Amino acid sequence: MTDIVLDTPSKPAKPSPLTRLIGRVPPIRKWKWGFVLSVAYLVVLTFFAVFANVLPFIRRYNELPKGAAARKLASYRGKPSGSYWFGNDKLGRDTFARSVYAAQKTLTIGLASIVAALVIGGLLGMLAGYYRGWYDRVLSVIFDVLLAFPAIVLALIVVGRFFQSGRLNLGLFQMDKRFFGVIVVLTLLSVAPLARIVRAQTLALSQREYVLAARGLGASSWRILIREILPNLLPAMFSVAFTGLAVLLVAEGGLAFLGFSVQLPFPTWGFMINEARPDIVKGGGWAVFFPCILLFLTVLAFNVIGDRVARRFDIREATL
Amino acid sequence: MRYFAQRFLQLIVVFLIVTFVTMVAIQAASKDPARDLAGPLNSTEARVEEIRKHYHLDRAYPIRYAYWLKNLVTLDLGNSPTLGASVRTLVGQRAPITLLLGLYSIGLALILSLPIAVYAAYRRDGPFDRFVSGATFAAVSLPNIILAVLLGYFFATKWRIFPYAASKIWPWDDFGEHVRNVALPTITLAVGLIAIFVRLLRADLVNTLQSDFIVMARAKGLSPARILWRHALRSSLFSLMTSVALQFGGILGGAVVAEQIFALPGMGLLLFQAVQQKDLLVVQACAALFALAVVIINFIVDMLYAVVDPRIRHARALG
Amino acid sequence: MTSAMHRPQDGTLLELRDVRTHFSTARGIVRAVDGVSFTLERGKALGIVGESGSGKTILARSIMGLLPKRGTIRQGEVLYAGDDLAKLDLKGMRKFWGQEMSMIFQDPMTSLNPLMKIGNQIGEPLRVHLGMDKENARATALKLLQDVKIPEPEKRLDQYPHELSGGMRQRAMIAIALACGPTLLFADEPTTALDVTVQAQILDLIQEQRRDRNMSVILVTHDLGVVAGHTDEIAVMYAGTLAEKATTAELFANMKHPYTEALLRSIPKLDQPSHTRLMAIGGRPPDLITPPTGCRFAPRCPYATEKCRTEIPVLESISAEHSFACWNPVGSSHWQSKQDELASNAGLASAGGQA
Repeated sequence: MTDIVLDTPSKPAKPSPLTRLIGRVPPIRKWKWGFVLSVAYLVVLTFFAVFANVLPFIRRYNELPKGAAARKLASYRGKPSGSYWFGNDKLGRDTFARSVYAAQKTLTIGLASIVAALVIGGLLGMLAGYYRGWYDRVLSVIFDVLLAFPAIVLALIVVGRFFQSGRLNLGLFQMDKRFFGVIVVLTLLSVAPLARIVRAQTLALSQREYVLAARGLGASSWRILIREILPNLLPAMFSVAFTGLAVLLVAEGGLAFLGFSVQLPFPTWGFMINEARPDIVKGGGWAVFFPCILLFLTVLAFNVIGDRVARRFDIREATL
Repeated sequence: MRYFAQRFLQLIVVFLIVTFVTMVAIQAASKDPARDLAGPLNSTEARVEEIRKHYHLDRAYPIRYAYWLKNLVTLDLGNSPTLGASVRTLVGQRAPITLLLGLYSIGLALILSLPIAVYAAYRRDGPFDRFVSGATFAAVSLPNIILAVLLGYFFATKWRIFPYAASKIWPWDDFGEHVRNVALPTITLAVGLIAIFVRLLRADLVNTLQSDFIVMARAKGLSPARILWRHALRSSLFSLMTSVALQFGGILGGAVVAEQIFALPGMGLLLFQAVQQKDLLVVQACAALFALAVVIINFIVDMLYAVVDPRIRHARALG
Repeated sequence: MTSAMHRPQDGTLLELRDVRTHFSTARGIVRAVDGVSFTLERGKALGIVGESGSGKTILARSIMGLLPKRGTIRQGEVLYAGDDLAKLDLKGMRKFWGQEMSMIFQDPMTSLNPLMKIGNQIGEPLRVHLGMDKENARATALKLLQDVKIPEPEKRLDQYPHELSGGMRQRAMIAIALACGPTLLFADEPTTALDVTVQAQILDLIQEQRRDRNMSVILVTHDLGVVAGHTDEIAVMYAGTLAEKATTAELFANMKHPYTEALLRSIPKLDQPSHTRLMAIGGRPPDLITPPTGCRFAPRCPYATEKCRTEIPVLESISAEHSFACWNPVGSSHWQSKQDELASNAGLASAGGQA
């Protein structure tokens, strides 16, 4: 007899096509416009941040008004105007220019930290999830330690003590010590949560049939990790990158506010807010308002994008 | 029981590592810890050497750490040169206010987020649910420094409902004043927490409400209120509990910002000032206390899992 | 204990008149139940049989009013002891749930609350509906556990579902369903998730409880073998409509619808040699958003004619106890000629295989 695979009656233990269909009906796509706006906002912000030094209509961050402009400013208390779009701070410096320069710093710090954290946390998480055993146990204690380290203590120690001021010589290029310190802190803070997410995902992935099959065929561990597991981790990591970036921007804002982030030659939004805060009552509210709005919108935009990506790939861990 | 013991041991190890690393980091960052500890005023060479001996700063780190641990157990953690008081007194004065701040904000967040999440999940995709979803998304994206500045400007400076510079008033002395003084810092910390808790709990509840045992509960003829609060909520608490533990470290961080903005003299402010003034022993003590709080919360949440879920209880009893 | 004493002992309990249940989805309206009518007498057991996706579960849920959010009864009447349940809102339905009618679900593992002790789960409806106090409810729960013949019932009261075996869980679920003495019991695939050895026991238990309590039972299953010994009547559903309905004995003796025939042939029989090939029904159930014109089974029916593809057959009675909806029923002349043709093809195929 020929070997025909029979079409057996489907097992009702699985949800029927109908219930599956109903479960799959997508929720109303309410974030679509939010997503477009967020991307547009970030593109504009990044454009200004990258070309701040070149664009002719952006003043220097430390430029003080002279002559007539200075006299005019004295009567005008920092309100936004045609030439000072975001108004001025109490010294008369252009809040728009300073905000744009701050964006340059903030975005660089955020990006550098999240990339570093993704690489380190991703690698540790993958290894912990794949090899398990003592390796997993040691790493999980390290993650526990990092999570038990109150973030603020870590930040205050690292930035406040190790990287107070001066330049750091890294061979090829130099950078501000503070700048480096903040990146170190933010990376340390995000490694443990990221590694945990990646570990959980790897654990689940390495039980999948195709991974077991590859292992059965004698593929090396590294090959399996790189060819089979990593590609499947990428969507989750991609989405975590955005939400993580949003969290880091908030953290950086807090650090900057306390005076533990980059201040020279120009500060980030958090410090601008703190700096102008005492002047609110004296009419200096605009210099607080604009950095606040920019920080909020940037965090919101990254969250919206992260949320969208997570929904697109159906990743639960990465959602807020 | 074995599981609890194991977990407890693990947390002690974590605590020891955190405090050791903190000590090494703080002292290694200083050019001369003894000189910092002598304080900026009376730092004669003899005094510096005396302090070096007293705190064993001439010994290796592990030995220094052992002495520090011994001092921790006897609660004699030395003196602060800048604030002119013993570390124990300082921490003893400041810690309760931060502890209260943390408890208030978590408590407030839980009290508000439970009904909001339950109702949003019950009327899923309805107008309330959509509003909550949008509002919490925005709130999660709102950095607490911005919130604190806004609250401070409107409620303290403009409308003068709450004092701008908070003072430390214990609830048992004058409860009304106490509330007025901690209200703004508490709200600053609670808004983000509420948003996170509502989002987590709502998502879990929506999942739970689709499970078979909820249909079964409906078929039993139970009222929606009973189904939601008695059947669905309990199965949906796990992410929320994990989140409470995870957020606790963040709350302490937020407390530093909130105390700084509202001038509330708590641990956060103490730590902030101590770092700036190189008050090493105070920093170490604050860090240890923060770590201890995080570790204890984690342990409590671990125990709560077992209370809520009998399956965990049994699995652990066997393992 | 309940109002069982005052119930009439026979007569019609449930009557469905042209019930249509629709689901609104993104792709369109799914006509999950599309014009079903039947009656059920008190104390009788009705089996609703069909493949998954045939609408049998949705039909049972429609009667009980336990539809998922997107489903609604669009048309028709569900007359339960004279009340039209289709017109009731959730609050009105809740008076029936648990007390008048209750349901046994497919998977006892997921249908029991994992975080609640068995005793409390049985006691809950007793306390909510009958206003029993804690001790009374516990005593009654124990009695119910004894009725469903769970071993060591006292011990089970304080256990959680995960501590019980699959069969015991299903017994516990039956105890919950029976708690308030329902008049109508639904059993939705009550044995599918269970071990084969336990299946018969659970079915016998339901049967026995039905007799003891003079309940009506609606047994929903994909397995004709399950309903064979445990029901008085059988309704075969296909694509949201009734294909055939008859008393159990009549159906097995004299089945008329090709779909019923196909369903029966897909069950292994003990008296067949162990390697006898089972007949599968080719193809899949139709899309219920745009169902085929004519007979819905026509695309999969080996005996389908042009008429089947264009005209919808109506449910016609050949006797008081048997009705079916088919243009070329089993035993008709067209069926016979098609049957011969198929047999000769099969003969050729096996002959070719041997050569």
